[in-house]
Amino acid sequence: MADVSLKHIYKVYSNGTKAVNDFNMEIEDKEFIVFVGPSGCGKSTTLRMIAGLEDISAGELKIGDTIVNDMEPKDRDIAMVFQNYALYPHMTVYENIAFGLRLRKLPKDEIHSRVIEAAEILGITDYLGKKPKEMSGGQRQRVALGRAIVREPKVMLLDEPLSNLDAKLRTQMRAEIAKLHKKLGTTFIYVTHDQVEAMTMGTRIVVMKNGYVQQIDTPKNLYNYPANKFVAGFIGTPQMSFFEGTLKKDGEYVIIKFDCSDADIKVPYSLLYKAKPSSLDGKTKVYIGFRAEDVSLAESNSENNLAVINAVVSHREELGNETLIYAYLCGFQEEAGSSRIIIKDNCGKEINSGDIIKVALDIGKAHLFDKETENSVLPRVPEYNYLDCQIKDGKLIFHGTAFEIPSAIKCANTNGELLLPSNAVTFGGKIKAEIVSCEEINGINLFSLAVNGGRLFALSHEKIERNTVNIGIDFKKITVIADGENVIAPINEVNSFNCTFVKRKTKRRIEQNGKVKNKKTIEFGFLTEDVFFSASDDAVQKIFSALGVKKAYVSTLKMECGIHDTVVSDTGIPAKVESVLEYGEDKFLKCKIGDNTVYVKTDREYDGDIFIAPDMDKIGVVEKEREIKII
Amino acid sequence: MNNRKFRSKKGKERITNIIIYTVLVLISLVWLIPFLILIIQSFSGGSGMASNSIFPKRWTFDNYIKLFTETKFLTWYGNTMLVSVVVTIVQTIIVLMTSYALSRLRFKMRKPLMNLMLILGMFPGFLSMTAVYFVLKEINLTQNLFGLILVYSASSAMQYYICKGFFDTIPRSLDEAARIDGASRHTVFMKIILPLAKPIIIYTILTAFIAPWGEYMFSSFIMLGDPEKYTVAVGMKSWLDNSVLASEYFTVFCAAAVVVSIPITALFIWLQRYYVEGVTGGSVKG
Repeated sequence: MADVSLKHIYKVYSNGTKAVNDFNMEIEDKEFIVFVGPSGCGKSTTLRMIAGLEDISAGELKIGDTIVNDMEPKDRDIAMVFQNYALYPHMTVYENIAFGLRLRKLPKDEIHSRVIEAAEILGITDYLGKKPKEMSGGQRQRVALGRAIVREPKVMLLDEPLSNLDAKLRTQMRAEIAKLHKKLGTTFIYVTHDQVEAMTMGTRIVVMKNGYVQQIDTPKNLYNYPANKFVAGFIGTPQMSFFEGTLKKDGEYVIIKFDCSDADIKVPYSLLYKAKPSSLDGKTKVYIGFRAEDVSLAESNSENNLAVINAVVSHREELGNETLIYAYLCGFQEEAGSSRIIIKDNCGKEINSGDIIKVALDIGKAHLFDKETENSVLPRVPEYNYLDCQIKDGKLIFHGTAFEIPSAIKCANTNGELLLPSNAVTFGGKIKAEIVSCEEINGINLFSLAVNGGRLFALSHEKIERNTVNIGIDFKKITVIADGENVIAPINEVNSFNCTFVKRKTKRRIEQNGKVKNKKTIEFGFLTEDVFFSASDDAVQKIFSALGVKKAYVSTLKMECGIHDTVVSDTGIPAKVESVLEYGEDKFLKCKIGDNTVYVKTDREYDGDIFIAPDMDKIGVVEKEREIKII
Repeated sequence: MNNRKFRSKKGKERITNIIIYTVLVLISLVWLIPFLILIIQSFSGGSGMASNSIFPKRWTFDNYIKLFTETKFLTWYGNTMLVSVVVTIVQTIIVLMTSYALSRLRFKMRKPLMNLMLILGMFPGFLSMTAVYFVLKEINLTQNLFGLILVYSASSAMQYYICKGFFDTIPRSLDEAARIDGASRHTVFMKIILPLAKPIIIYTILTAFIAPWGEYMFSSFIMLGDPEKYTVAVGMKSWLDNSVLASEYFTVFCAAAVVVSIPITALFIWLQRYYVEGVTGGSVKG
């Protein structure tokens, strides 16, 4: 019955191991969130941090409206179910369930009625007088659930609750937990290493690996639009088959070449229009992934999107209603990992090991990942538009359309490549564009626009019903590269300053009852470029809790402040104005502090030396050595 | 073929068992005979030292009567009982609390502290006897039962080892579950850990009681020269100090020994029923 908000949560052990890295998530009320990942990925640690059983190294954890970082587990109003049940063996089931209520000193009648109610929900009324050791695994886990729900907590935390049960019971309990969630309407956070559990139960799933969040999305989106190779391989059984290869754009088609097969496959560009152009050059290595259901035996199906290649059958797994055929692309049996393909077949044809079969791949459902970064090159929301462009007479020209370059940017006429972030396309400019399609993805609308025949991606939080819109470009965010150099570079949205955390003692003369007194005060703050900025109480607390008292004063820190929150003031960091940048209505000062370039929003013109100051209520602080975001 | 193999296995097992039981019986005889002689001699009429046979010519209760009427044995017995009971209570509490802290809490110097206690515990206690005596003398606690109690219970925390080992076997998730349920550390200790730790509490009580009950060295040193404050071990030893007394008191000594062994036996029999096995059964998946 509460939201949970995790902001820049880190868990760093004293030996420097980072178990959880920059975990950010807003969990809404009544959601069923599943943390999933292989062992050691930090999912349980995150859950235990929410429970209060582990200290939070840095970051801010909120349950409801309260920051609970330093709260005892008992005060957080959460309940937890453990993998090994953790029932009190010397108490009966009734006492186990009532334990928490008794500690909270509830009246006896209420305890009784609540215990009975919980027992009825879970169907353990008959066992209330028994001791845990007299019960089976499933019943024990039910008692553990009962102990949790009887408290009516704000958040239910479940740490692999079904791992100790046998397969059949697990399926049954899975359904029961899902039902329980519906009935209670409480926020559930569930940790598991079993992706089937995650897929079947979660409203949203957090996939984690090595302490990093890989992707947060609904089960369906995770399955259909995995953000990277790890998520693609982790979600779904049987595992996705991956092949190395290259993609080359050739007119209206893209040619797919597999490293492990001679087969070239030609697919229409319209299927891959979201792909990063840099990956379509025929040189960049990519992983091409297919799910078993998108691979079939060739004879049965022969539609346009299908590409047919030969494979040798290695073995098969009979599942009753369908058969999984494990095969290797022809001639490449030795490199087992990279040429194995799994085919889901339900036509029941007799196929033996060693047979050569024709395999049809549904290219429209292929998943493409960069080999280096393992990130998807076919992102659901394309971050950038990659375009060829021309700069001529103060105008940026692409798709045969000219956009006026604001006076802030001065550059010579040239041809180059334009990196236009999707969110730099603004609605309400001078250029007419046609809306080709619009999809809503996680609360953001992705528009595919046609400008003079050329494609352009744009993002907006608002829905637009019309067919045509006027667009403009936010020149602050774009990059133009010509001859390997940045002709136009985006301006940093965030200024960063090196700083240290310091304690300052000041003496103040205070007049009290006619007497003059010297009063000593201690002030904490950040010292950057020998200028002291007093820190808010909240910031001081966060620094101390993340770094400890000793380390706080010796760590090198980086103070970050948005360009809109950095202002010109009478005192502050001395800086030299290099130039004034005007982007239409917005005016920025480009200043130098030593070698560091910072931008300051302004409405007046300044010249020469000025002082700038960050808004101390809106700063972020990062510890440089371990890269931990503290504030 | 199969049948023979089966039979030969059984035969082998039988031979092994015979050997094992013979050895066990021999060992228990060696262990039990002195005790039996002690009991028998305590009922023997006349001076036992002189007679050659194990079984007395005359059975009598005289030794016991003499023990309780003519000697200071009852006073000593009371002294020892008082010291032992107090030490047992103090030591059990300290050991349980130390063990819980060392098992569950993580603090700086925890490991070094544990090692230090372990190593210090390896030195025989009497090494510090003279030093302890002078300290007690300074604070006027020599020839005083309270001084003895202080000496016995001072190093209680060093007995943490076995108890901590037991606490370590109680899953931490029980603590965590209880803390989430709303329990403080104290509540966890009292309501979760202690009920589960019965066997080890019994063990701690028994060892805590037995040690001062039979201890001789410290008490003989601290109580030197005041027979009113003797403990049983010191008092009984004083009977054997010269040969005249020794031959006179030998059978009485045996009777005293029997009386001394009663509380320990009783304590064990009483506490034994709490020695239920598998107390943690069913709490977590094994």
